[in-house]
Formats: sequence, C-alpha cells, structure tokens
Amino acid sequence: MVEAIIRNLFRFITYLIVAMVLFVLGYIVAPGFRYIFQQGFLTEFPRSGMTEGGIFPALVGSAFMVLLVFAISVPLAILASIFLSEYLKGRLSAIFQSICSTMTAIPSIVYGLFGLVFYCVQLGMGTSLLTASLSLSTMTIPFIVTSTTEFLKAVPVDIREAAMSLGASKFQVSIMVIRGAWKGMLTAVLLGMGKSFGETAPILITGTVFYATQLPRSIHDPVMALPTTIYAIVVNLGERSQWMAQGTASLMVIFVVIIYSAIQILRGVRKG
Amino acid sequence: MNRSKSRMTKDLTCENREKEDMIGVCETVFQVENLDAWFGEKHVLRKVYAEFQSCGITAIMGPSGCGKSTLLRSLNRLNDSVPTFRLQGKILYRDQEVYEISDLAAFRKRVTMVFQRPNPFPMSIFDNVAYGPRLQGVRGKTNLQAIVQQALEKAALWDEVKDELKKPAVRLSGGQQQRLCIARALAVDPDVILLDEPTAALDPIATTRIERLLEEISSEYTVLIVTHSMGQALRISDQVIFIYEGVVVESGDTNLVMENPQHELTKKFLTGRIG
Repeated sequence: MVEAIIRNLFRFITYLIVAMVLFVLGYIVAPGFRYIFQQGFLTEFPRSGMTEGGIFPALVGSAFMVLLVFAISVPLAILASIFLSEYLKGRLSAIFQSICSTMTAIPSIVYGLFGLVFYCVQLGMGTSLLTASLSLSTMTIPFIVTSTTEFLKAVPVDIREAAMSLGASKFQVSIMVIRGAWKGMLTAVLLGMGKSFGETAPILITGTVFYATQLPRSIHDPVMALPTTIYAIVVNLGERSQWMAQGTASLMVIFVVIIYSAIQILRGVRKG
Repeated sequence: MNRSKSRMTKDLTCENREKEDMIGVCETVFQVENLDAWFGEKHVLRKVYAEFQSCGITAIMGPSGCGKSTLLRSLNRLNDSVPTFRLQGKILYRDQEVYEISDLAAFRKRVTMVFQRPNPFPMSIFDNVAYGPRLQGVRGKTNLQAIVQQALEKAALWDEVKDELKKPAVRLSGGQQQRLCIARALAVDPDVILLDEPTAALDPIATTRIERLLEEISSEYTVLIVTHSMGQALRISDQVIFIYEGVVVESGDTNLVMENPQHELTKKFLTGRIG
C-alpha cells in the first residue's frame, strides 16, 4: 500500500516535470512558430525599426559565430583534454582539471566583461565578430575540456594496456583511446556548440549590434546575433516589433531541440 | 630473435624431458634475479629469483594479491605506466636487461600480453586482429587478410567468425572475445605470450577451450600464465612457480610440485587452507 503510494507519487512528479518542460517549450515555440515561415523572415534584413522584414543578418551572424567558436575552441580543447588524460599524470593534471571545471561555473556575463576588457580594449581589437567569438570560446573551451577529459579517462585501462602490449607507441595508444571515446567527445563538442549558440551575455558587449543594414565584411566587423536580437527587441523596442523576438525565440528553441536530439541519438548509439 | 626451438644454444633446465622430445629444446627466455617491487609503500615482490623456459607452459600460481600479476607485468614492463611503481633487481630477456631496453614498442611486440578481462578494441573483429600488424607497417588487404586468418585459426576462432569479420568485436561472447584477444596477440608474431588470469572472467566451457588452445600454441610460443587456480596450473602447465606474499615459495615441474610439495605453504595452498 505504502509502496504503491510512493510509486505513484514519484510517477506524478516525473510526469509533472515532463509536462512543465513541454509547456515551457510550447509556450515559447507556439506564438512565434508561424513567423518563422512568414515570407522573408529568414532571408530579409529587418526594416522600419524592426517592425518589418526578417532576421537574416542575425542568423548569419550567429552561424559565423558558432563556426568561429568551433574553429577556435574545438582543436584547442580536444588537444588539451588528450594531454590532460593521456600525458600529464597525477597531481598537475588534477589541478588543471579542477581549474577547468571551476571555469565552467563562472557566470557568462563575467566572460563578457573579460572579453570586453581583454580582447576589445587591452588587445585593441574593438568590438567585432572575432572578439565576440573569442569571448565565447574562452567560456566554451573549459566546458569542452572538462567533459572530454572525463570521456577519455572513462576508457578502460585494459584497452590502453592491450594496445601497449601489441607494441603501440604512446601516440598510437592515445589514438586508440580517442577511438574508444569519440562518441562522448562528439557529444561534448555538440553540447559546447549548443551552449555557445545560445549564450547572450558574453557577446552582448563584445561584438554584437542590435541593428545591422549589411552583413559583416570581415571578422573585424560587429554582427547581429540571434540571442542578442531577442534581448534588443524586448528591452528597447515597442509592441509592433515583439513578433520578431517571438519568431527568433521560437527558431532558437527549435535549433536547440535539434542539437540536443542529435546528442541523444548519439548516446543511444553508444549504448548499442 | 630466433624462435625455432630446434637449435639449442642455452643450458637445458627444463625438467619435462618427455615434452622436450616432442617440441624441441628449452631455452631460458626470462631470468629474474633478486627482484624487489613496490607500489608506493607496499612491498609486493621480495627477492624473487625465477627462470622461465621456452618449452611448454609455465604457470605462476598463488593466492590473490600475492604479487604474481606484478611479476608477470614486470616482464614486459607494463607496470611502468603506474606512477607509484618501483622496481629493483634484474630481469633478463634472452640475455638482454629488460629495464634497459629503449625501444619498448619493439620489445612488447616480442613479449605480448593477454589480460584477465577480455578487452577487444572498439572496432571490428578483423581490425582487432590486424591492429598489431598494421602498427608494424603491414599494408595491403591480401597480406593482412592472410595474417588475420592465420591468427584466428591458431586461436580456434576462425570457423566461428569467418563470415562476420566486419562485426564489432564487442558483440562476441566473453569466451570468443578472449580467444580474439589471443588471436590479436598471435598476429604480431611474438616470442612470448604472457597471460594474466585469462580465464578468470569466463565460464567453465570457455575456460576449457582457452586451456586447450594454450596447450596447442605452446609448441610454437613461450607461454607464461598467471593463475590463482591450482586446477588450471595442474591441467595445463609443465612448470609451476608458487608465490606467496611476494616470495617465491617453490618452483619446478608441475607434477612434482603438485604431488610432492616441499614447502609447508605450498602444501597449505594445494589443500585449500590458504588462498
């Protein structure tokens, strides 16, 4: 009897949480969903004080930013995590890992401030696509390093020793370990990219503009981005522009759902 | 290094004369002299003297935690990667000081190892066996296919997997995985195969198959096996070394040691009073 009550209580709570998540998703996606398919929403520049047109430059800006963050952070983070798990043993490795995981807990606005002070001002790079991507990368790298290192360390020592016993060099052993962990590593990279795609604070003050009439001509130009566009419209503009924020929010949630679904599918493959 | 056992260059210490006649002559492959080993503060091997012959199967036997695996793993220097490991004394591999070898990769191709838990690589059956030869620079599908087939045949696995070589190795059963690991070791054409309790994770039927397989390959390779089961040592080994708390208590011809143990500790182990 008591067991049945407890079981039903747990079941109720679980369903409640799932329902809440679905409600939140629906509440965000539903109002803006139709604007995504509105003529020109994805392909036009915003017009008339963002009351008409589309979010094309923000879409392009966010895409460039994710690509740049990918190009900067993934090679560095992957190499660092291989070094931490395979080459640097003992205490020093543990210290580096705990530094990285501490960095993942730092609020993202702090990375924005760091980017503004260091990249934009100290290094004199100004606000641009590049400095925004660097600020985002500064935040993403420790995140990818932390989770990738965990996946690499989870590869059984047996696999390393088997490779060693067949005459594999240190480097060849590392390749084998990466083979064993690649799905996890890919998951970590996708999570990192998803994170950098959605972050607003680090790019708000380091390289994005609220309104652009043309696409960036180089990585030294500032750009529009999806999350900052939502912020800009909601904070600065009137009722007649809000639909554009709704459409953008809806689009972002759909993107995030796609990215995380891909991760779930990957995890499923790993189980099989 | 010459693996054929027809040419006798070293002293004959193998006591199993009958076996010798069958498979050729015995050479000393490993000579361990005054070996002490530590993990951190723990003294796991004490003043170990041992000799491992190329003929037949030598079993290193003893209760769990007695240091037998440490001894085996010292032979191909697999303990090197353990930061707290420390070793003192001498190990000679065919007159070469093991702890002075600089090209470890080449040495480990000669002295390869099979582990307690089957540990196939996360790749296909074919790629698992071809891994070692590929490291050695063997290229070309026909070459690799020939090596893979030969190794799998020697490991008595070919008939079971020949139609599904592209299947992931982890899909095989535990016993098959372990035979695959043996095939993988044979594919690098080693001189010595070290086995660290290779049947500890397997059921009795799979165990029997592995034991039969080891007896077959022992005519061609030097086989050293660590086991905590005296039944296994009795069934397959020609020579046995009994280790207790890091000390070699007794060693010699398996039948002699089993039937007429000289040392009180060996008697206790054999009658199940320790271990």
